[in-house]
Amino acid sequence: MSRARGWFALSSLVVVTAAAPWVVGEGVQRLVSECLLMLAMAEMWNLLAGYAGLVSMGQQVFVGLGAYCLFFSSMAMNVAPYWVLPLAPAVCGLVAAVIALFLFRLREAYFAIGMWVFSEIVSLVVSKSEWLGGERGMGLRTARLVDPHWLEPVTFWMSAAVASGAVIGTYLLMRSRIGLALMAVRDNDLAATSIGVDVWRNRFIAFVISAAGCGLAGAISFNATLYVAPGFAFDPNWVVAMMFIVLMGGIGTLEGPILGTIIYFALREVVTDVLNLPASWYLVALGAVAMAAMLFAPAGLWPMVRDRFRIDWLSVRRWPPVSAREVPPAESQVSAST
Amino acid sequence: MIWIETIVNGILVGGLYGLLGVGLALIVGVMRVVNVSHGEFMVLSAFMGVSLAGTMPWLHPAALLVPILVIFFGLGYALQAVLINRIITRPDPFAAILLTFGLAVVMRNLMLEGFGADPRTLTAGTLAQASVPILGLAIGVLPLLVLGVSVVLFVALQLVLTRTRLGRIVRATADNRDVARLMGVNPAHVYNIVMGLSLALASVAGLLLAIRSSFTAYTGVERLLIAFEVVVLGGLGSFWGAMLGGILLGVVQLVGLKFDPNAGPLYAHLLFFVGVLLRPNGLFGARA
Repeated sequence: MSRARGWFALSSLVVVTAAAPWVVGEGVQRLVSECLLMLAMAEMWNLLAGYAGLVSMGQQVFVGLGAYCLFFSSMAMNVAPYWVLPLAPAVCGLVAAVIALFLFRLREAYFAIGMWVFSEIVSLVVSKSEWLGGERGMGLRTARLVDPHWLEPVTFWMSAAVASGAVIGTYLLMRSRIGLALMAVRDNDLAATSIGVDVWRNRFIAFVISAAGCGLAGAISFNATLYVAPGFAFDPNWVVAMMFIVLMGGIGTLEGPILGTIIYFALREVVTDVLNLPASWYLVALGAVAMAAMLFAPAGLWPMVRDRFRIDWLSVRRWPPVSAREVPPAESQVSAST
Repeated sequence: MIWIETIVNGILVGGLYGLLGVGLALIVGVMRVVNVSHGEFMVLSAFMGVSLAGTMPWLHPAALLVPILVIFFGLGYALQAVLINRIITRPDPFAAILLTFGLAVVMRNLMLEGFGADPRTLTAGTLAQASVPILGLAIGVLPLLVLGVSVVLFVALQLVLTRTRLGRIVRATADNRDVARLMGVNPAHVYNIVMGLSLALASVAGLLLAIRSSFTAYTGVERLLIAFEVVVLGGLGSFWGAMLGGILLGVVQLVGLKFDPNAGPLYAHLLFFVGVLLRPNGLFGARA
């Protein structure tokens, strides 16, 4: 995509987003906000699993921590929740930085399960903490400081900002030195280390960013419902949805999670709204689609669409210098593919 | 005295946890595949146990063990033959995880539709309350029998793997699938049998756990987490490690509950966390 067309697309998206609350009803705004927040979380999981090679089965811990951080600080300081929103990603990033010191000793499956267990521990500790509402959770008492008519539109705008921030931020990060280093480590960590890439440092950066992003999305999500409880906040289904969206859409691509999010929510709306079936049938359909995708489109759906229609919007692929392109095209594709 | 009793009970529960992890350790060791639907198969066997016990009230639930074990061996064989063998040769570690994850979501929600959301338990009649005095401690007959079954299955598995022709073939395939194939072994068939064994162990563990504690269609996730913890704590693919890891988790969980009645599995999780951080390859895995 050329630079001018890119700016045009971006500015029209901003205008459409800004005007949307006056055009569509609250129900649509709520659904789109939900999609956008899920997209942001999926991109954050994709950053970890698809680019940094860290598969986490416990990212829901940051969703929950972000939400609790917002609720607690807003009520402790008695200010509208919007003012303390930046605290959520800050605290989640900090927690991630601390636990990375320990958890990065674990590799692959050990890391994934270690994250899951960490999330369960935090969830159980929160359930036992009466000052955080215990197992019953707590309502957002400072909600009276927020104009209820503006809650839906503001949530929508914040969700749009976070989702586009996640996509564009990951794009810029992957085009930077850190991104190149991350992909080099993911593809061959021995070779990357031998040319001087600091594996630990680059993974650490990706882990902290991913945690902060999930925390921010979680805080906005629970701010919209005005209620938080450990069962919802630390629900493993958060990470299940992230995994499903990323792996369906195409792991290690930026467009994949967008496609995955659309499929995820389209499936839900069709099964529960159009066919009027209970939610469990939607999950049956979801599981079946995931299985079919793994059997027939193992790289996810986006790579298939991309190769079929030759479109490449947000590729972070790097091309070798001209002299290196003299080699036969098939070979240079392989060596340069990201 | 109450403490010794708690520890003994923890060992009895832990034996079951070990059994639950051994099934997973087996496929991780032989195929390097993680089956995320392991917990759902445990819950399915429990539901089948409850339904069968309901239609045949004259039959003691213990008599269900053998038919359920056979059914689940068949299910595991079919699961591997129809689904997992299609993707097992891919270098991508996500393939099997996402495939079995999809299966887990499908199974969980079909069970929810089929059996409802109410918690169920498998009643074991008078056996559940019976206890025998051993050295002044009142030890339940049922937990003792459960531990007995776990140990018998565990030793049987060990003997099959080390002493029989099938075991030798399984170990050879685990070591090097391509060389095993050159020797005339069909790896796909070996994998089918191993998955059958894994789910047979899971079904026994699921059934026995259903006598001890209630379950719903959602319990599979908790069971899977225990199985994962057992496998990782013991060292991926190590059987003795899985058994000892299970016992350790069971003891810590019950002792923790005595201290802090509403802690749930908190202390078992903490033990796992600390254990794995101190020994990143598990308690009995090779040192890094």
